Amino acid sequence: MSAPHGARNATGAVGTDAVGELAVGGQVPDFELLDHAGNRRRLSHLVGGDPTVLHFYRGWWCPKEQAFFRRLLALQEDAEVAYSRMVSVSVDPPQVNAAFRAGLGARWTFLSDPDRQIQTQLRLRETTDTLNDPYVPAVVVIGPDLRIHAAYNGYWYWGRPTRDELVRHLRDISRDLRRDWEAPTP
Amino acid sequence: MSRCWLALVDGPATGADAAARAIAADGHSVGILAAWRRRAKPVRDALRVDERLIDPDGSAAWISLVLPPPGVRLAFDDLAVQQARRLVLLHPFPAAVSTLLRDDSHFDGAITVTHSASGQHRLRDDPFARIFPSRLLAVEAGILGFVPPPTGPTIERYGSGNPWPSDRFG
Repeated sequence: MSAPHGARNATGAVGTDAVGELAVGGQVPDFELLDHAGNRRRLSHLVGGDPTVLHFYRGWWCPKEQAFFRRLLALQEDAEVAYSRMVSVSVDPPQVNAAFRAGLGARWTFLSDPDRQIQTQLRLRETTDTLNDPYVPAVVVIGPDLRIHAAYNGYWYWGRPTRDELVRHLRDISRDLRRDWEAPTP
Repeated sequence: MSRCWLALVDGPATGADAAARAIAADGHSVGILAAWRRRAKPVRDALRVDERLIDPDGSAAWISLVLPPPGVRLAFDDLAVQQARRLVLLHPFPAAVSTLLRDDSHFDGAITVTHSASGQHRLRDDPFARIFPSRLLAVEAGILGFVPPPTGPTIERYGSGNPWPSDRFG
């Protein structure tokens, strides 16, 4: 089990550990991948103008991922009315992602990286699993400029963000993003 | 502007930016499906639609056109409308979809588009057709394009005056 990679960022942004090339204060590359329906999607278009939870996971077969998805499904109930987005990325092909997504009841976009190009670019290959060559489980919370507000290394399960932590990051980004955060009153 | 106007009209679609004949399953014409990119309402029955759905270069399509019966009004925030939006996100996304609005607070129908014959069966399971009746129509080329699938899971409108799934403020 490896130690969290990278150092904490000194920009004052809220976050925990960096993982791979994803460090608090840095930017996620604006990559393109196929979504669960086979459409080519660019990350910046998926993020649009909203705070976004970007989630990298091993695959449908991992019990830890199944448990963590239940956490994300609970967050979905809030995110659907909170102008916040969610994107999950794995090395599984679109058909597998589509089936997994439907089985979960997830209503957000799943991306496929079967060639592991983005996994390599982000240095997120889990080297201890040579059978599946999956992503290191990781979560980053980003803003519309793809800047990383928080990064979590989920190799050990307790390294993953709780629902409350995700809400806190989404709130912080939203507060900075929404010029009318302070409700207009008489 | 994230919205424009859509109407199924009997006569000529005067001033429309895109228009094409709509045809029922039995082959008879049911009118002209027309769209106007302008702020002012062009004809009495025009409804707001996600402007990304309109493409004058769009190929022929099949649509599920859901409209409320005359005199029936339903809040956009009604639980049935919320659930239909969730189902749209959950199911394979069509070529395009948009709710239709007459004002900022009511659900006045929806249009779901497919450009492939294989996609027609999905129109028969249009989640919005559980709210109001759906008409399945063929539409000639020249008006309907594609709307990218929403990222999810947002079911809210980006400004109450805008149709869903238009996904940007402003």
